[in-house]
Amino acid sequence: MVKTLVFGQIREDVIEENTLGVLNKLTEISGISEIIVALFGHQIKDEWITELGKHGASRVVSVKAPELEVYLSRPYVKAMLEVIEKTEPMLVIAAGTVYGEDLIPRLAVHHGVSCAQRINDISIVGDELHFHTPVRDDQAMKVNRIEGAIKFATSRAGAFFVNENPDGGSPNVESFDVTFSEEDMLVKHIEIKKAERTVNLKDAKIIVAGGRGVGGKEQFQIIRELAEILGGEIGATRACTDVHWIEETYEIGQTGQSVSPDIYIAAGISGAPQHVSGIKAKTLIAINTDEGAAIFNFADYGIVGDLHVILPILKQKLQG
Amino acid sequence: MKIIVFIEQIVSTQVKLQGVDYFDSTRVSEDDLVINPSSKNALEGALKLKDQLGAEVTAVCVRGLKPNKALREAIAMGCTDAIEIADENIYTDDPLLLAKVYVEALGKIGEFDLVFLGVEEQSTGSYAIGAMLSEKLGLPSVLYAEELEVIDSGYKVGHVLEGGRKIVAMPSKGVISCSDSQYFTPRYTSMRGILTAKRAEIPKWTAADLGLSSSVVGKEATSLIEVSFSNIVLEKESYIIKEGEPEEKVENLLAKLKEDEVKLGA
Repeated sequence: MVKTLVFGQIREDVIEENTLGVLNKLTEISGISEIIVALFGHQIKDEWITELGKHGASRVVSVKAPELEVYLSRPYVKAMLEVIEKTEPMLVIAAGTVYGEDLIPRLAVHHGVSCAQRINDISIVGDELHFHTPVRDDQAMKVNRIEGAIKFATSRAGAFFVNENPDGGSPNVESFDVTFSEEDMLVKHIEIKKAERTVNLKDAKIIVAGGRGVGGKEQFQIIRELAEILGGEIGATRACTDVHWIEETYEIGQTGQSVSPDIYIAAGISGAPQHVSGIKAKTLIAINTDEGAAIFNFADYGIVGDLHVILPILKQKLQG
Repeated sequence: MKIIVFIEQIVSTQVKLQGVDYFDSTRVSEDDLVINPSSKNALEGALKLKDQLGAEVTAVCVRGLKPNKALREAIAMGCTDAIEIADENIYTDDPLLLAKVYVEALGKIGEFDLVFLGVEEQSTGSYAIGAMLSEKLGLPSVLYAEELEVIDSGYKVGHVLEGGRKIVAMPSKGVISCSDSQYFTPRYTSMRGILTAKRAEIPKWTAADLGLSSSVVGKEATSLIEVSFSNIVLEKESYIIKEGEPEEKVENLLAKLKEDEVKLGA
């Protein structure tokens, strides 16, 4: 039986979505005997613990310290290593957020083993854990196992669904102290700049989104025009918002907004998991010059072609 | 000031080889090999500091079929020099073993201030190397960096964060992994750079030169064991239009949407 330790992440004062997804996945695997969640922070809120229990955590181990107010590698690694020592899990897993991906490989190094990265499935075969990682733009699947007493893994963002009707109970709660030295705090937190979210894309029925293939600020005009004709909103990948081709409020994906429109038109978008994890569309239409682009794996319809040629024709036909 | 950039070489994802075939090295030609896009972001980060502070930048490549090609491009972009580490006794699919090689390479290089890497290897999505390397070195690190500013105590670094960007300060010696951001958008190679790269002597080190053997960094040493590797068969039925003139393609798409009763438009 596999005792599992999950890195509990908080985003904007609630349990981070992908972490709930990981918990849901773990509860579905028979053979997982106990789900422990590690929670760190300056404060630990009761509602977080209740939420974790509902989603399947049977035990919550918390460490409260001012040094843990914001994620920083060293203090979090130190605290997590102590939780591992106390709880003796067989599997340590974190949702593949920026913090999860920072933490897990470091923990693995301390235990002298490698780690499974961005998995979208775990299976138990005999008494072995198998980790499934899609590679090559989601065209092939690598299944790995890890040698050693403790296995470390991160999930891919968006890989596991959150249970909408969780019915778990109250977890056992324990807490302990960890002390930190100046050496642990060499990297110092300055501030978090929240992206401006002036447009809510969550309820948009139609979204026309552009990626790196759009090519520039002016070229985004065709995306805007098509969205207007269709009565929809525009969207973009982080690559586009970072270079200011379009305002950051329109970023869709792991680090931007999550959307669930009826129609999503992805133009010049390669289909990186970080972007696709934010889309739950009824119909996805992709336009890309690269036939092998991962976005076509997710698309219901697609045109292999240059968006700068295809979209104006599409616009004209829809108008005419 | 000395900066080491660890770069990776991958098969261009634009090649026609799909799925498992893409990873079959016998089917790949030298023209298909490119610097991992994320490694180029790392090169840019180091070269910006070279421009600003006169840093010496050494590119090192361990993972790749023809590291020498990638390193010449790195020099053409502006790196001061380069080191190739190639040895069939090094198993580069395991980030932990790769981190061990990087640590020994840094030991042999000697003094350094910063180490730059890309955030991930594009063909496999493997991102663990940055975290593993900094942990093995015991150095402060900032991963997923998007922008960097020199300050008195070291660097102010902004990194990717879900819902925004986080700004931290780090000391002047450490490890930074670079994202595909505006700040780290790679420069093109220059004509002068290409000529320098042609003439450059790139030393080649083996595992033995680093005091390593296959029992430490070879496939036999990995804890990450491949159980299976297969193509993903899509269950989803997609209607992808590849043939025809642009206008025909659009008409084809609209006709199919109509047939399937998918309403385009509010």
